[in-house]
Amino acid sequence: MFKNLITESTAKSPWLFHINSGSCNGCDIELVAVLTPRYDAERFGFKLAGSPRHADIVVVSGPLTQQSLPRTLRAISQVPEPRCIVTIGSCPQSGNVFKGSYSVMAPLSKYVHVDVAVAGCTPKPEAIMDGLVQATEILKEKRKAWLEAKKNGLKDGPKAETEQEVPAAEDVPASGEEVQQ
Amino acid sequence: MDFPFVREAVKNLFSRSSCDMYPLKPSEAAEQYRGRIEYDPSKCINCHFCERVCAGGAISVVEVPVEEGTQITRTFDLSTCTFCNTCADFCNTHAIKLTKDYHMIGLKEGDLLVSGTFVKVAKKKPAPPPAEAKPEEKAAPAIKPRDDGKPVQDPSKCVYCGICAKKCLGEALTVDRKEKLWKLDEDKCVSCGTCEEVCPKKAIIM
Amino acid sequence: MAIVYSSLVYLGYILIFPGFLFCFVAGMLITGIDRKIVAKMQKRVGPPILQPMYDFFKLMGKETIIPAAANKTVFLAAPIVGLAAMVVIQLFIPVISTPILYGTADLIVILYLLLIPALAEIYGGSASGSPYAGVGLSREMVTIIACELPLVLIFLSVAKTVGNAMGTGLCFSLSDIAAYQAANGSLMLKASMIPAAIAMLLVIPGETGNHPFDAAEAETEICEGMLAEYSGAPLGIYKLTHAIKTFTLTALFVALFLGGIGTGIVLLDALIEFAICVVLTIIFISLVHAVTARLKIEQLFKYYWTAVSTIALISLVLAWFGM
Repeated sequence: MFKNLITESTAKSPWLFHINSGSCNGCDIELVAVLTPRYDAERFGFKLAGSPRHADIVVVSGPLTQQSLPRTLRAISQVPEPRCIVTIGSCPQSGNVFKGSYSVMAPLSKYVHVDVAVAGCTPKPEAIMDGLVQATEILKEKRKAWLEAKKNGLKDGPKAETEQEVPAAEDVPASGEEVQQ
Repeated sequence: MDFPFVREAVKNLFSRSSCDMYPLKPSEAAEQYRGRIEYDPSKCINCHFCERVCAGGAISVVEVPVEEGTQITRTFDLSTCTFCNTCADFCNTHAIKLTKDYHMIGLKEGDLLVSGTFVKVAKKKPAPPPAEAKPEEKAAPAIKPRDDGKPVQDPSKCVYCGICAKKCLGEALTVDRKEKLWKLDEDKCVSCGTCEEVCPKKAIIM
Repeated sequence: MAIVYSSLVYLGYILIFPGFLFCFVAGMLITGIDRKIVAKMQKRVGPPILQPMYDFFKLMGKETIIPAAANKTVFLAAPIVGLAAMVVIQLFIPVISTPILYGTADLIVILYLLLIPALAEIYGGSASGSPYAGVGLSREMVTIIACELPLVLIFLSVAKTVGNAMGTGLCFSLSDIAAYQAANGSLMLKASMIPAAIAMLLVIPGETGNHPFDAAEAETEICEGMLAEYSGAPLGIYKLTHAIKTFTLTALFVALFLGGIGTGIVLLDALIEFAICVVLTIIFISLVHAVTARLKIEQLFKYYWTAVSTIALISLVLAWFGM
């Protein structure tokens, strides 16, 4: 009985943690606009959490600059399972106009598995809200998959099966030339 | 300390919220909003101009030869696009349009690509000239640049796309695609060289 | 046989009413109503009223990550100690005028027990080994010290007033205070007690860590302060303790100052007590939350030790002279 309750609650109370990895702040402004009275994301239970350990959904904006990449990956690895990664804007998906620069290491999908990508430059707050609601449904699926893995008796299996592998900070290439498209 | 907003707070408690209630009530974007790209392959003339001017490098082309000519597939990657509208501005045949649709959410690979395919029928090649005429043709060059620096058009390369007329700063060129007409108004031409630079087929010489 | 029966009754008190289950439901509902009212005041729609319950159950389902630099035993045991102390306080507060468990606890014990949940957070934060937690817990210690002084003065003035009426010097026993109010009407109707009531209402947002007194738990400034490294079930237990604290403090206010309006039937009294707690929360926690910004820790300390303590001191002086 409690397991059902917990699974339902996973989709009703997603806490966000926002990481800005070098963005122009356009997408950050639209993200914060989602929490204003006009679009009010708090109706769905969204809340900005102060620490990555409290969050369920990680929201990344900005092309991953060379300086911010190891730190972004470290912050993402601190988010407990089940978690969902949402990228906002076209910068984290491909670098947009900064592609090919010596200091831009986008796309994020090369390092971690991205669940929802909201396109736009910048996306409207309604589009961001669509993406976040989609992410809550993915969270519910992940929680069910986690329960299945635990039931099948894998010891620390649930983490190994469904956890997204995040490369350690030392493994990330240090300069941008190796990853030029 | 004073509390300036107490009256508003108590008043708001009893009035309606100013929330748009978005998913329950659909909401439309503003009039000239630049959202999802719509590409009409039937109007495209494959001048490659949109790829040249794209800010984010979001347009890619795959050309496959088929029996009638070439099958051209042009793909617009929305996850790299900046939605600056430059491709639609430069497209002479208005094959690209940015619509008001802002719901662009990608859950897996390929969700955010817009592509269109068309077949460009190859022009029938003219019959090869008789062998004696060849050395004569080779000796004479196709077109010669003018002395006064004004542009000369090469009819064999020109596709009458009209980009030179659009970009001409002095509005000195008239191009008609249907009648295959290219006309230069010499009084208005200032020999700036823009037409030569922008011609995608390199059909203008100065 | 009688022992078995009475221990079952005590177990019922501890687990159901006014113990764990009652605190859980009441605390969650009050926190939910608080969030909804704050949203309405800001012209938004706000989360559903049961949102804190969804938060709690979701946190129970997340995995618990223990940082490498943390002391494992204290890290995991601190939240449970905090929750246990909070439920024990609620057991000893009379339901308007009917004390449920009495004979062992009085106001001084409640004063000590009120310290334990905050201390549990401090222990948990320092056991996690994070520098953000260090900043958060030093601010929380200053907040506790700041709130203690007015609280002591309020309790002393209540004890002296009831003690004067009953002939003994100072009466700290909660059951006696409840009995006095049932016989003579609420303490708040006496003019000399009104400053103490006002001071208590000003102490409540500070004790619960609400705006504008939440410097210890500043979200964006120090990454949630003491709870920065917590995740999953221990975090859920801390949030539950916060939620119950609001209910407990408002219930304490009702028991000390509004004890004369009870009807005698325990369940009806519980409902009236809950309704008054909700009204107090709306006015003194939600309204203050919606219209203020955060105070710095020095300003908080100065505010409590000058303004609020003076108000409580007026009541104490009046009570001492027998008025």
